[in-house]
Amino acid sequence: ADKVIPRKSQSNLNLEKALVMKPALTTTDSGHCTAEEAFASDVESEEESSLDSLEEGSGKEQGAKKKLLKRQHCQGEGGHQLESNKNIKDENIEVEDLLKEEDEYNEEIDFSTETTGALKWKEDLSRKAAEAFLRQQQATPNLRKLIYGAVAEDDDD
Amino acid sequence: MATQAHSLSYGGCNFFRQRLVLSTLSGRPVKIRKIRAKDENPGLRDFEASFVRLLDKITNGSRIEINQTGTTLYYQPGLLYGGSVEHDCSTHRSIGYYLESLLCLAPFMKHPLKAVLRGITNDQIDPSVDVLKATALPLLKQFGIDGESFELKIVRRGMPPGGGGEVFFSCPVRKLLKPIQLTDPGKIKRIRGMAYSVRVSPQIANRIVESSRSILNKFIPDIYIYTDHMKGINSGKSPGFGLSLVAETTNGTFLSAELASNPQGQGTAVLPEDLGRNCAKLLLEEIYRGGCVDSTNQSLVLLLMTLGQQDVSKVLLGPLSPYTIEFLRHLKSFFQIMFKIETKPCGEELKGGEKVLMTCVGVGFSNLSKTIK
Repeated sequence: ADKVIPRKSQSNLNLEKALVMKPALTTTDSGHCTAEEAFASDVESEEESSLDSLEEGSGKEQGAKKKLLKRQHCQGEGGHQLESNKNIKDENIEVEDLLKEEDEYNEEIDFSTETTGALKWKEDLSRKAAEAFLRQQQATPNLRKLIYGAVAEDDDD
Repeated sequence: MATQAHSLSYGGCNFFRQRLVLSTLSGRPVKIRKIRAKDENPGLRDFEASFVRLLDKITNGSRIEINQTGTTLYYQPGLLYGGSVEHDCSTHRSIGYYLESLLCLAPFMKHPLKAVLRGITNDQIDPSVDVLKATALPLLKQFGIDGESFELKIVRRGMPPGGGGEVFFSCPVRKLLKPIQLTDPGKIKRIRGMAYSVRVSPQIANRIVESSRSILNKFIPDIYIYTDHMKGINSGKSPGFGLSLVAETTNGTFLSAELASNPQGQGTAVLPEDLGRNCAKLLLEEIYRGGCVDSTNQSLVLLLMTLGQQDVSKVLLGPLSPYTIEFLRHLKSFFQIMFKIETKPCGEELKGGEKVLMTCVGVGFSNLSKTIK
């Protein structure tokens, strides 16, 4: 068990690292995205808004509408991004929860093996041996019976 | 035989040789019915008829009755006579098919057998003469069948479909067989092999050797694979090549594997490299199966144990082949011998696949026909 524990702790460390890395990555990502998407959304919104305005066909107050639409778009996009960010965060939390659960689970195993298990294997050795023997007897096919048929049992020397 | 035991009756063409050989040794007549009765081409095949003719040659006073269609055979064995015999084997099966049975019968002849067999020495179905020479002969020696006249020689090699090979087999006779105790196979000590090629480039044998060594060299340093390129009249009628490998253990057990190229005009061409590698893998598989006798000779060792003195014989075998299982059933019906069969799980000292320890008490078969000098 001594050998196993450091491995587990290593893996835990790795997981923790990953956890630390992930949020950092996501935050930088999201920041970058906002900057890029802001430009992209501007262009898109202008086009869309122009299309919208053409469809609407109201000649007056185009400029005002544009501005309004722009704002709405920006707001909408911003809201969207927030939502996506939220989603990522939720996912992260979920992953964290899962990992935490695993951590706890592992600890439980360590606990049991370190204390009670170490003594338990010595109990009832003879009974265990008998069981293993019987299990093996049942698992191995009776070749004599397979080859010679049922008659084989009658004249067992 | 003086006292006529009632005959045994079987159906179907399977285990044809087993039945006739055991019938000859036990003296019990045998009747085989329904030989390929529902086949489009019913009755005995050429190679089976040729086998019956060979039995007729080495025995004296056998009665063989075959019905018109060849679907029923009645065989009342005579005495095993032996002596000098020449036989042209059918080219449907290799000489190994006939030789396997001769190996069972030869020690019990009246006169030492000196047989010249012509036909196919190596094919893809039966154990080749090379393998039988390397595995079956040392096995017979364990039973006390030995001497200068005990030899198996390949005079000419013949590959299918043409054949044209020739083999000389001579075997001394013994009154009694020694019981054997082969329970420890030991460890692999050396690997020997024979890469042969006939009517193809002699370089092919070298290619086979190289590729098979590429696998085997990782496991053991003591490997020697002979190349055998027969020329002219000694090379038979058809081209071909192949490899037989034999692993010898520290306790004198021989485990074998072999492969041969596809016969000319049948199947795709086989690369010598592939053949060498595959054969090496087959040998590893055979070593994994293990046991004190390799799977081609399982039935031979069981027969000789049965026919031994009234003493306990033991042999450790790898997983039993279906042929051997049927042979055990036949041994029971012809000799009333049942083996004690213990499975040995592959523990620490027994590596590889599951082993089976076969134990029996010999029937005390003695060679009555042998003349006392």
